[in-house]
Amino acid sequence: MLAMLNRVLDWFRSLFWKEEMELTLVGLQNSGKTTFVNVIASGQFTEDMIPTVGFNMRKITKGNVTIKLWDIGGQPRFRSMWERYCRGVNAIVFMVDAADEDKLEASRNELMQLLDKPQLDGIPVLVLGNKKDLPGSLDELQLIERMNLSAIQNREICCYSISCKEKENIDITLQWLIQHSKSQR
Amino acid sequence: MKRDKKDEEAGGNIYANLDKTSVIQETRAFNETPINIPKCRGVLTKLLYLRLQEESIGRAEATRAFFAITKLWQTKDVTIRCLIYLAIKELSTASDDVIIATQSLMKDMTGREDLYRARAIRALCKIIDAGMLQTIERYMKQAIVDRNGSVSSAALVSSNHMMRQSAEIVRRWANEVQEAVSSDNQMVQYHALGLLYKIRSNDRLAVNKLVQKFSKSGLRSPYAVCYLIRIATKLLEEDDQADSALFQFIDTCLRHKSEMVVYEAASAIVSLPNTTPKELAPAISVLQLFCSSPKPSVRFAAVRTLNKVASKHPQSVTSCNVDLEKLITDPNRSIATLAITTLLKTGAESSVERLMKQISGFVSEISDEFKIVVVEAIRSLIARYPRKHTVMMPFLTNMLRNDGGFDYKKAIVETVIAIVEENPDARVAGLAQLCEFIEDCEHPSLATRVLHLLGREAPKTPNPQSYIRFVYNRVILECTQVRAAAVTALAKFGAQVAELRPSIEVLLRRCLLDSDDEVRDRATFYLYMLQQSSQIINNFILDQLQVSPIGLEKSLGAYVEEKKFDKPFDMRVVPIAAQPITHTEKPKPKLADPEDLKPKAPKKPEHSERLGALPQLAQLGPLFHSSSNIPLNDSVSEYTVQMIKHTFTNHIVLQFDCRNTVEDQRLVEVAVVLEEQGDEPEWQITDRIDIDALPYGETRSAYLVLEYPDSGAVVGQFECSLKFKVKDVDPKTGEPESDDTYDDQYVLEEVDIGVSDSVQPLVRQHFNAGWEKLEGAAEIDQTFALSSVSTLEEAIKKVSELLGVAACERSDLVPEGKSNHQALLAGVFRGGHEVLVKAKAAIDPTDGTINMNIVIRSDDDGVADVLGSALN
Repeated sequence: MLAMLNRVLDWFRSLFWKEEMELTLVGLQNSGKTTFVNVIASGQFTEDMIPTVGFNMRKITKGNVTIKLWDIGGQPRFRSMWERYCRGVNAIVFMVDAADEDKLEASRNELMQLLDKPQLDGIPVLVLGNKKDLPGSLDELQLIERMNLSAIQNREICCYSISCKEKENIDITLQWLIQHSKSQR
Repeated sequence: MKRDKKDEEAGGNIYANLDKTSVIQETRAFNETPINIPKCRGVLTKLLYLRLQEESIGRAEATRAFFAITKLWQTKDVTIRCLIYLAIKELSTASDDVIIATQSLMKDMTGREDLYRARAIRALCKIIDAGMLQTIERYMKQAIVDRNGSVSSAALVSSNHMMRQSAEIVRRWANEVQEAVSSDNQMVQYHALGLLYKIRSNDRLAVNKLVQKFSKSGLRSPYAVCYLIRIATKLLEEDDQADSALFQFIDTCLRHKSEMVVYEAASAIVSLPNTTPKELAPAISVLQLFCSSPKPSVRFAAVRTLNKVASKHPQSVTSCNVDLEKLITDPNRSIATLAITTLLKTGAESSVERLMKQISGFVSEISDEFKIVVVEAIRSLIARYPRKHTVMMPFLTNMLRNDGGFDYKKAIVETVIAIVEENPDARVAGLAQLCEFIEDCEHPSLATRVLHLLGREAPKTPNPQSYIRFVYNRVILECTQVRAAAVTALAKFGAQVAELRPSIEVLLRRCLLDSDDEVRDRATFYLYMLQQSSQIINNFILDQLQVSPIGLEKSLGAYVEEKKFDKPFDMRVVPIAAQPITHTEKPKPKLADPEDLKPKAPKKPEHSERLGALPQLAQLGPLFHSSSNIPLNDSVSEYTVQMIKHTFTNHIVLQFDCRNTVEDQRLVEVAVVLEEQGDEPEWQITDRIDIDALPYGETRSAYLVLEYPDSGAVVGQFECSLKFKVKDVDPKTGEPESDDTYDDQYVLEEVDIGVSDSVQPLVRQHFNAGWEKLEGAAEIDQTFALSSVSTLEEAIKKVSELLGVAACERSDLVPEGKSNHQALLAGVFRGGHEVLVKAKAAIDPTDGTINMNIVIRSDDDGVADVLGSALN
């Protein structure tokens, strides 16, 4: 009964306190950024995607939160432009292909370089290790170690291992993101 | 309400006082959340306004603004989105990393919103680079054949723009473009035809086929038909033995149901070179019909075209005289002006006075641009009826007195100058008029030109002292450059008229007190020179320095670099300009046909720079002379070759511009092979530059360096062929299919090196002074009977071409009806030897043969001999 009442209250609240949040999604090419956007927006997974040339702008509504999502291309020529889209957002999502060991180092370097920018101080970061379903992929703990995430002290940082294909851990990822919308900050 | 009032007081334009920095600051609003839509619209509009005012924005600022604009993609507001497209296009060159917008534009271009699609295509094609173009290739192909006309048109026009950088990729879309040509939409058909032509324009055969195909299939869009007419016209102009089907197609278009097409066809026919009166007649009668159209624009177009034809074919236009007479009273003054000037060109001598009266009635009401048309008509009229100058001069005087802009005054002054130069009877009247004009002239450049002319022409008049007052007045009253020109003009009076010299010296002495150093310098220089012998006066006052300014600068630079100052600077190594420096503004004032639009040959400084960039050619010394382009085969064959001959002091460089028009071939190791004719080969090839690779559609140059033989010979004849290896390539990708090559050879026309390659033509202003100076030097005197030419003018032209000399003092013009004429020709031989030629030609009235006596003088015996031998 109480739960029922709570839900009705939530619905009313959502009418009056619509929340908006802004996220930027970066990471090396072919790590699954655009796929991730499609999965959280419509729940659809597509196997073959074409590389993003530039950026995709998506608006996604989850409950009473509208998420503005900037999905930026991961090819080398776009990496210098990531920072421009990360300024002033509620959180930065950094996508890593957990099954591609060769690129981990490049991935770590790009992340560190991005977070070194003074204009991005204090913005929470969520590192997602994608492609959990593939054999030999790293789990959260391995990823934290290999990406040297424990070295990042001056901001909130979190790491999840997900699979867009199997839709694993997508829900906890969304939860984390929504917690970081404006009012919660 | 209050604000509105304030805006109105500001003069209506609320953007008039925009500050660039503050607008750039305001673009920060684009980064805000949530977005304030009205504010962002305002800022975008301001930004666009600034760009359209050509306000320059720094790269960093532009990039910041550009990225801020991309943030606006989050709103669904239609106005904002359309403004984004415009802003992206405007900033596409000013900002870095514009490629970031690609994905979003691609999405909009393939999206469901028709309003966005065409605009997105246009913006996308502005930011895309050659590397990225392949990514969007698929979408472009789809868009070209899209059902929506605006989308298809946008894709076609954008592809057309992209032909400039990425022609190879756009060529691959030919199938889609061809499909679009058969579209029902008129605009799409037109744009598709335009692009298809561009894609094929390198291949003359394909263009021919294209015209044939579409002239039969009947394009629906009148725009496309007009374009097809233009392509056909171009083909006809370029080709001497063009297909008669092309002309027939244009001719049938005269009966098209669209007025636009009919006009286009008529104007195409009249613009063609070498048309017979019979071919012209239908076009003229169409234009005649248009003259009585109720639409002013049609009447204007018709009469304007008739006006142009009238300069070339006055007889053909006379049939329209009745209709043109009616247009004289047309309420539209532009039409009336054109009608009258056309009549002036075609009418009989007797009607001139009446027409002039008519035109002076409203000359004050028409714009400067049309006044210039009137002036030009008068100019060609005087060329035809020299006796009418008594009517024209007062008219021109009146026009000169009225208010008008610089171009208008310039046209009149040029006309008067031309009259003075070509019509001795009108000289005194014309000079008097110009004197009056410079008394109150606000354009220093015109005043200096008139002063220059006075210095040259007035001393030859019966009463030269009467002009001195006008010239000296300039020294007292005008700005620096006019004062300096006046001093020079005064000195020329003194140099040419010995009686006036003492008074000129007095005046020049006064000029020594001038406030400007240029004026003082000139006065000092001329004062000293006037006291020297007549030889020196001739050399330094009457004759001018005839070197190209760029060449002089380079040679002096090289001299200073070398640091060998014990040896004086040798003027003779400086490349010579064909025209005196003072003539650069207008090459030759010619009375008839002032709108002579010949394609100009590339200028010498360009050649000189291009050759200087090649290390093998750099040590040959300064470039002396370059010939014009000489085609060595048909322009429609597989490989076209054109040759330019560059003469240096001891060498001649042959430049072969080769072009490959075979789509599935790449030529490698292309070399030109020369074989000298005759029993004793004398010429040596000392160096060569071959072409490593010649891909389809490109022009590259091979060079051969030949040394002038020690024997002193300057002529040679060579068999010439092109040797190369062929690599087959896939025409779609341009990539070689395999590494196999095969040898091939291609025979070209013969190459001639003649005397004229060793001579740089030179227009001397005072021929006789130079002629007398060479009295006693090497002289050759020969007389010939010429049978291959029929007029004196032709004969003189032929001789000057053969010897490579230029006519001085306008002596190449033979007055009508004269049976004998003397031409004064001058040039400079390699190594700086002066060459002067007097050619006397006479026509035998009984059988029409032409006899010519040629006297050649040069300061070098060998040079005179060489030139003399060329005549045999």
